[in-house]
Amino acid sequence: MLAAAKLLGEIFSKFKQPAIIGEILAGIILGPTVLGMFAPNIFELLFPSKSEIKIALDGITNIAVVLLLLVSGLEVDLSIVFRHRKVAASTSIIGIIVPFGLGFCIAYLFPDVLGLLAYKDRLVFSLFIGTAIAISSLPVIAKILMDLKLFKTQIGFIIIAAAMLNDLIGWFIFSVILGMIGANAHGLTFSETLLYTIIFITLLLVFGRKLINKLIPMIQEKLSFPGSILNFILILGFLSAAFTEYLGIHSILGAFIMGIAIGDSTHLTERTREIIHQFITNIFAPLFFVSIGMRANFITHFDIGIVAIFLALALIGKVAGCGIGARLGGMKKNEALAVGAGMSSSGAMGIIIGLLALQFGLIHETLFVGLVIMALFTSIFSAPMMTYFLKKKEKNTFKALLKETNIIYCSDDGKVEILTKLTLLAEQELKIDHQQILEKVLSREKMLPTGIANFLAVPHAKLKMKNPFVAIAINTNGVDFEAADGLPSKIIILLLTPEDNNELQLQLLSEIASNFKNKEEVEKLLTLKKTDDLLATLRNQSK
Amino acid sequence: MFDKIGLAISFSPTGKALLSEAARLKNLFNSQLVLIHIGDKTDANESLLFSMVEETGINKNGVQIIWDNGDPATAIIKHGEESQIDLLIAGALEKERMLKFYFGSVARKIMREFHASSLILKSPSLTPHPFKKFIVSGDYSARGEKTIRSAFNFALKEGAEEFTIVRDFYIPGLTSTIAENKSPLELKDVVDELKGEEEEKMQLFVKELALKRMEVSITCIYGKEGWEESNYARSHQADIFAVPGPERKTRFIDKLFPHDVEYAFEKLPSNLLIIR
Repeated sequence: MLAAAKLLGEIFSKFKQPAIIGEILAGIILGPTVLGMFAPNIFELLFPSKSEIKIALDGITNIAVVLLLLVSGLEVDLSIVFRHRKVAASTSIIGIIVPFGLGFCIAYLFPDVLGLLAYKDRLVFSLFIGTAIAISSLPVIAKILMDLKLFKTQIGFIIIAAAMLNDLIGWFIFSVILGMIGANAHGLTFSETLLYTIIFITLLLVFGRKLINKLIPMIQEKLSFPGSILNFILILGFLSAAFTEYLGIHSILGAFIMGIAIGDSTHLTERTREIIHQFITNIFAPLFFVSIGMRANFITHFDIGIVAIFLALALIGKVAGCGIGARLGGMKKNEALAVGAGMSSSGAMGIIIGLLALQFGLIHETLFVGLVIMALFTSIFSAPMMTYFLKKKEKNTFKALLKETNIIYCSDDGKVEILTKLTLLAEQELKIDHQQILEKVLSREKMLPTGIANFLAVPHAKLKMKNPFVAIAINTNGVDFEAADGLPSKIIILLLTPEDNNELQLQLLSEIASNFKNKEEVEKLLTLKKTDDLLATLRNQSK
Repeated sequence: MFDKIGLAISFSPTGKALLSEAARLKNLFNSQLVLIHIGDKTDANESLLFSMVEETGINKNGVQIIWDNGDPATAIIKHGEESQIDLLIAGALEKERMLKFYFGSVARKIMREFHASSLILKSPSLTPHPFKKFIVSGDYSARGEKTIRSAFNFALKEGAEEFTIVRDFYIPGLTSTIAENKSPLELKDVVDELKGEEEEKMQLFVKELALKRMEVSITCIYGKEGWEESNYARSHQADIFAVPGPERKTRFIDKLFPHDVEYAFEKLPSNLLIIR
């Protein structure tokens, strides 16, 4: 199982796709879908249907689920959630209510369409479908943001904060649902179970968190590393999981909340986090996802109608729900839609929910297969959707600001003449008096010369304006902008940015500087005589 | 820079030390000094206060004294605003006892709620010395810029020997994302690359600020935002750690789950200069 998972997982990673797809595919191949169908003897040899073998495999799967939720909790950063609480709460809560509501209504009103097993379970079944549609996958979202280079942006932080809150609420709701189907007992009523769970979560996150924060540095410093801290984290994770299991709210919630409490520690080093992730991601996670692929025959239990319903619910519910939430939280339209698209990926979390529901007899294999496909599909397609919505917003990069009409050649002009011509271009576009712009630029120039290196100068200023502006002058004779390398500046880029946005100015300055790092490429640029050629080369360089 | 300095004063050894510190800063900035005492204005108290003032070398007629009763933090903040104090000085313990932290001590309330800048002194001295080592929280916002400029001007006046801008940043989910796709060695490379980018931006930012007459060092740290900066100031034994005031009103939940500057409020890394 591990070998197949790693092999296919690595192949998918090489093609920049989530490894989870390869791992599930490995399970599909090893399971009843392929091996079981075409070589049933080998399948029976490898995976005997004897009950004790099955129990052992289920045991490993359950441990893997607990560990996956533990590391998922480690990634939840409460400080980010509270820093962005208004938008995160709005995005997250509405981002749960809308898809949950949609899923619940469809399941409750049309239970036969989704193949409800027993009519008496209609309420719990509908609650479950709602949760499965509403959940997001934090690791998938983090990966998407990283790939799109959004994780250090405001929108990236908001998506992450909303996803974290979404996880917290989603897992709590799911655990409550499992509690409703009476997984516990010890004589506790459902209300008592719920009350004890809330008390447990509150005590753990308020006081337990602080105690753990005190213990972690002692363990990391005084005991053997990394063994002791790993043991400590896993012990706490399992204890907490066992406690919520005892209460009748599945072990996943205990593991998740303990993960949050541990992950919030300011003393938990990145090295420790890394080791835990490597341990779980490379051993338990592949085993888990392979077992998912082996749970059902993905061909005989594939129902295009159910898959289509789940996809529609997920896409409409999450994109619209989180998008509305983000919009209400103050984000612009395209950014809000991008947030919705990002939050639509349910990844491993959606799969875990499906598995647990199958184990508890809430759903049959066809629905399970539908949920797995929905989780994989949304994980793959949320990134391109985000890119699509953000492309419309992507006006604030150097590449996006380049315009042919804002490139001039002026080889006979001196510094002030060049700056005057550039500010006249700015005046046409920004409708700000060019004298005013020129004064600011010259004032900035006087404070500190803007010649950089490699024939580049970036005179700049901040103005009362909405969007940044770029104009380029080429002077092949060169003008003295007091560059550090002593070379005259032949490419003069005027950069104007809004005065209330320091970070945008820094980002653009940094981008421009890095685009002109290579002296040979700059010299090639200077040989181009036509503005369209120059523009095309600059745009390609920016990539 | 600070035209009017205020001091919340009490009759205690710490009160005398705080008065000495305030007197030094009054002379440094050539400011007016306002003393706020929460307690009964009796002849004995007034006389005691005047003698404390005179011991520091300040002419008692050059000092405005405000007397009030009631909740100390509320009264101090109220009078501070009414008197248009632009730097309020107070003393504080490094860390409050649990209940006091959550339900408010005078100094913590001032840190969170005073409308203008405040200087919170951890260990005021009867024989105060200039602050020589400044560490400033760096962020690119207008508040961040104001904090750096104000702290820099303060440091210049003090003839400071070190001025460091420290910026911490964190990418949530980075560890799990890298762990799924790369080896541990490459995680370090990714973090180093991010730190390099951040340092480059920071250098551009500092260049734009055009801070002259003193060398400015920059440090970027990858880790929990707010906590890493505070810890850096503590471990490097800063005389002053300057931070921008919180952007919005602090609620109880922000104390339960601290973030950003709340880490510095929870456990003072050094004397704390909060710029507003």
